Amino acid sequence: MDDPVLAHEEFPILGRAYFLGGRASTSVKRALSDCGVDAETIRRVSVACYEAEMNVVLHARSGYLSLDVHAGRVVLGIADRGPGIEDIQLAMTPGWSSATEEARALGFGAGMGLPNIKEQADEMRIESTVGEGVRLLLTFYRGGRQDA
Amino acid sequence: MPDEAPVTVAQAAGQLGLSAYAAGEAIDSAITGAVVSDLLSYVMANGKRGNVWVTIQTHSNIIAVAALAGLSAIVIAGGFEPADDTVARAEEEGILVFASAETAYTVAGKLWEIGVR
Repeated sequence: MDDPVLAHEEFPILGRAYFLGGRASTSVKRALSDCGVDAETIRRVSVACYEAEMNVVLHARSGYLSLDVHAGRVVLGIADRGPGIEDIQLAMTPGWSSATEEARALGFGAGMGLPNIKEQADEMRIESTVGEGVRLLLTFYRGGRQDA
Repeated sequence: MPDEAPVTVAQAAGQLGLSAYAAGEAIDSAITGAVVSDLLSYVMANGKRGNVWVTIQTHSNIIAVAALAGLSAIVIAGGFEPADDTVARAEEEGILVFASAETAYTVAGKLWEIGVR
């Protein structure tokens, strides 16, 4: 497909750093705004990006986030080193969570992370190897969903 | 029925007697509605641009949620106060932070009463 990359950025994500969580997503939001991406697309990417970032923070040791802004779409890649997901189907179930009690007390781990991501992204690919980590690839079409 | 002019954040803060912890430009913006929850993902999914968020969470991650979801202000209810780094991050992101000694239920009821829908 001929949809050239206009901007590419990468951000590291630190596992367990609950209170730093959201920093990478905030940087992504800023980058999208600088690229002149429309507000609705920025909002959809921001929500999905935050959930993906917090999944890394809550469950993995470390991870990184890559952002590619194309003329027609925004692509987010999130890869982590951590326990991985044993049963992706189960993890996609709204309300299901493997977050710790400590995380839940802070308002994380509602079991809405992956469902929220699926809701916002136009395309979602998730791959996991238990004991190694999770890779997530999300595509958002600029200026509205293509299926809408 | 309060159905004429939209309520601004400044008006709501004044009428509810909220304590201000972090100021910002959004103080004179119109409130577009409110969301009440202590689950961050719920707010991400249901909060709308320009909403006020009522919660008892006080840690700095609430600022990231508010900024990314496009909310204008957070009211920390139940007599809790924001952590120091929460205030610092709020100022960085331009999110208004207030606190109230009243419960989240009462704060929400009063917002409704002054016309926030």
